[in-house]
Amino acid sequence: MKISVNRSAIIDAPIDRVWAVLRDFNSHDRWHPAVARSRMENDVGGDVVGGVRQFTLEDGVDVREQLLRHSDRDYTFTYCILDSSLPLFDYVATVRLKPVTDGNRTFWDWRSQFRTLDEGAAELEKRVGRQVYEAGFTGLRRYLAEQTERPRPPAPQRATAEVTVAGGEHLPSKAVMVAATGGPEVMSLSDVTVSAPGPRQVRIRQTAIGVNTLDIKHRRGIAPGFDLPGTPGMEGVGEIIDVGEQVSGLFPGDRVAYMNRTPGAYADIRCIDGDACIPLPEGLSDIDASSLLKGVTAALLLSRVFRALPGATILIQAVSGGVGHLLSQWAKTMDLTVIGTVSTTEKARFSRDRGCDYPIVVAEDRSPAAEVMRITNGCGVDYWVHSSGARGLDTAVACLARCGHCAVIGDRDEQPVFVDVNGLKQRSLTISAPVCFDYFEDRLYLQRIAHQLFAKIQSRMIIPAIETFPLSRATEAHHRIESRQTMGAIVLIPGG
Amino acid sequence: VRNIQLKDGARVREKLLSLSDYDYSCTSTILDSPMDLSDHVATLRLFPVTEGNRCFIEWSAEFDCPPEKVVELSESVGQGMFQTGFDALKKRYGQR
Repeated sequence: MKISVNRSAIIDAPIDRVWAVLRDFNSHDRWHPAVARSRMENDVGGDVVGGVRQFTLEDGVDVREQLLRHSDRDYTFTYCILDSSLPLFDYVATVRLKPVTDGNRTFWDWRSQFRTLDEGAAELEKRVGRQVYEAGFTGLRRYLAEQTERPRPPAPQRATAEVTVAGGEHLPSKAVMVAATGGPEVMSLSDVTVSAPGPRQVRIRQTAIGVNTLDIKHRRGIAPGFDLPGTPGMEGVGEIIDVGEQVSGLFPGDRVAYMNRTPGAYADIRCIDGDACIPLPEGLSDIDASSLLKGVTAALLLSRVFRALPGATILIQAVSGGVGHLLSQWAKTMDLTVIGTVSTTEKARFSRDRGCDYPIVVAEDRSPAAEVMRITNGCGVDYWVHSSGARGLDTAVACLARCGHCAVIGDRDEQPVFVDVNGLKQRSLTISAPVCFDYFEDRLYLQRIAHQLFAKIQSRMIIPAIETFPLSRATEAHHRIESRQTMGAIVLIPGG
Repeated sequence: VRNIQLKDGARVREKLLSLSDYDYSCTSTILDSPMDLSDHVATLRLFPVTEGNRCFIEWSAEFDCPPEKVVELSESVGQGMFQTGFDALKKRYGQR
């Protein structure tokens, strides 16, 4: 006998909050009252199609289920039962969320079809509908409520006692100020007051601040968009202190990451647009989350700037750097062959451990062209991610395979760059100059790609390499990057 | 084709493109309107919310318009047309 079960509900939370939990196929033991234990076979991530989860229900029944389809874009996944002691045959179920714009809530539809024995069919329909689906709605509501209400551990080393009073009008804070452009020494930590958030803003006590090369260019006065005196920094992670009246879906105590086109992140406490905030999944550390901007840049290159195909070859300049080491790991998860350039053998070793198949050590004035051609058997590479501006761009073009693409990343250089279109035409080559903030004007795209990044970090498919400095030693952090001594990303920790 | 007159006097001609009692959905396109948009296709779809025996309405539209009109037209279609419609329906059937 063929049976269809359908249950649906409205959850009083924004769709991203609900999907952040549900998108993990292995999350049910955290929120579903009927599930006692859940684990993925072979330790694959909870968003990997083909992955198999093993459930033990509270009543002792074991179930094996396989993920058949998963889409962050459509907020949906489909799965089937492989083994179960219940008479459920050809069971295929789909979870689908839709945004309820009226009130910023979520519509959740859960449905399945299966065959079963004629006897007891009606009872089984009820059991699946009530004990699995309806109990799930209730369980998730409770889980989300607990996430919001749970008291947070106090932030370490608060600057002053008054800071602990949340929700006041003005909060004392410290921020890195740049009064005049110049070397790292122009930065100094100053006392500031942070007023209550605007209607669409949230006020955050920051716990980790990612350092980007754009911060250095702002400080040196060679990139636009930074007014003096000012505070550098394009991204941060922290805990929400209070929220403006027009902000929906964010609450005091929420852990969020953000990235923003306007600088100002090098601070203990700051206000930021609620729209820019991405809630963090439980279990993701604040420090790992502070690789947001670099991680989504890597994903952007591979998915939108060019559509990387499995089996293709990519060359990543400065593969041991902040973006480079995340890009090489992400490219490996997509089955690309990764070639990277580095300046020292130590960085080569570091990169090899992070997904780079062929690290090439290149001296400052040398071209890696011969080595690249040797590795690719004279074919050249399909994608070249170029971060050194005008320098070496002709080498990049010469090393591209037919129909190859060169993405020039990093921030606008002082040097003008000229492109010979006739040269590109000889082998159907393309060049792009992507600026990530332009792509992420599409907030839904950013949220989707951030979820993917966080999931890959949590499943250890991507491991960010992060060196931390106290915010008070931002000068030293900039020095380290500019003298090219760092590997991986640098993160500033406020309150130290 | 229906010819409707809005409360502000504007006339809109709309053509019904599909109607499904099975899926609880209908699709329509705007033929003529004073709004500066073209290739407009809107879909209205109902989903049962089994919990509480309620109804979820999804109303979406795609259209082409000059870039400087995007914000204004999205607001007047999304808020002026759709949300106002929801509010009226909620009033009629009792807000929940």
